[in-house]
Amino acid sequence: MEIKITTKHILIVLNIITWLIFIGVCIEAGGFLFNTLYTLFVGPQNAEFFWNRLDLSSLYKFGESHFITVTTIVNIVAILRAILFFVIVKFLYDKKLDLSKPFNSEMRRFILNIGYLALGISFFCSWGTTYTDSLVRDGVTMPSIHQLRIAGADVWLFMSVVLFVIAQIFKRGIELQTENDLTV
Amino acid sequence: MPIIVNVDVMMAKRKMSLTELAEKVDLTLANLSILKTGKAKAVRFSTLEALCKALDCQPGDILEYKAE
Repeated sequence: MEIKITTKHILIVLNIITWLIFIGVCIEAGGFLFNTLYTLFVGPQNAEFFWNRLDLSSLYKFGESHFITVTTIVNIVAILRAILFFVIVKFLYDKKLDLSKPFNSEMRRFILNIGYLALGISFFCSWGTTYTDSLVRDGVTMPSIHQLRIAGADVWLFMSVVLFVIAQIFKRGIELQTENDLTV
Repeated sequence: MPIIVNVDVMMAKRKMSLTELAEKVDLTLANLSILKTGKAKAVRFSTLEALCKALDCQPGDILEYKAE
């Protein structure tokens, strides 16, 4: 028996994957946020057992302001990633992907939103990487940027640029589709 | 747009309804309405030919240029 994979099947699989990733990034963002607030307001000793077994005690001892800066960047990146997947999940959930007329303003706005979010993540990842590098040079024992989940600034930047280019192509596509719709 | 579509004028001259014309030229009422109201961006030669045939006229009777 031949199994035919249609676009509908691919969309269902994508929907499931994005939901799983969305739940994952939400838990991660929540974990980072909770640990940051707990360390700052309840128990500074928590810096040693930060989210995902990260040891930020050296950073906390070095200076609370540096700790706040690094955790703020990490939190912003985690939250932006969660928002990015929320936008994707919402787009797929609302069934705004009309394959009979794919070039519509909703689709273009979706691509632009993802592009802006990717650009934001890239900016904060880049800032976080530079900041942690400077802290390491000052002798602070820091977890790697991969553990802090702020790696890949260049990849996010590349993704945002590609998305902006696609959004421009979609702009022209919308014009062509409108023209086609109004051709009798 | 400086191009004016005079389908309604020709329809009135031939005493033809929109539904009748739509049936004769094999167009949907929605598309014919787009053409009649001047919202159309382009007209296919095949549509123009069918319109001329149904209304027994020339393309110039249907389309008119008026500078803005």
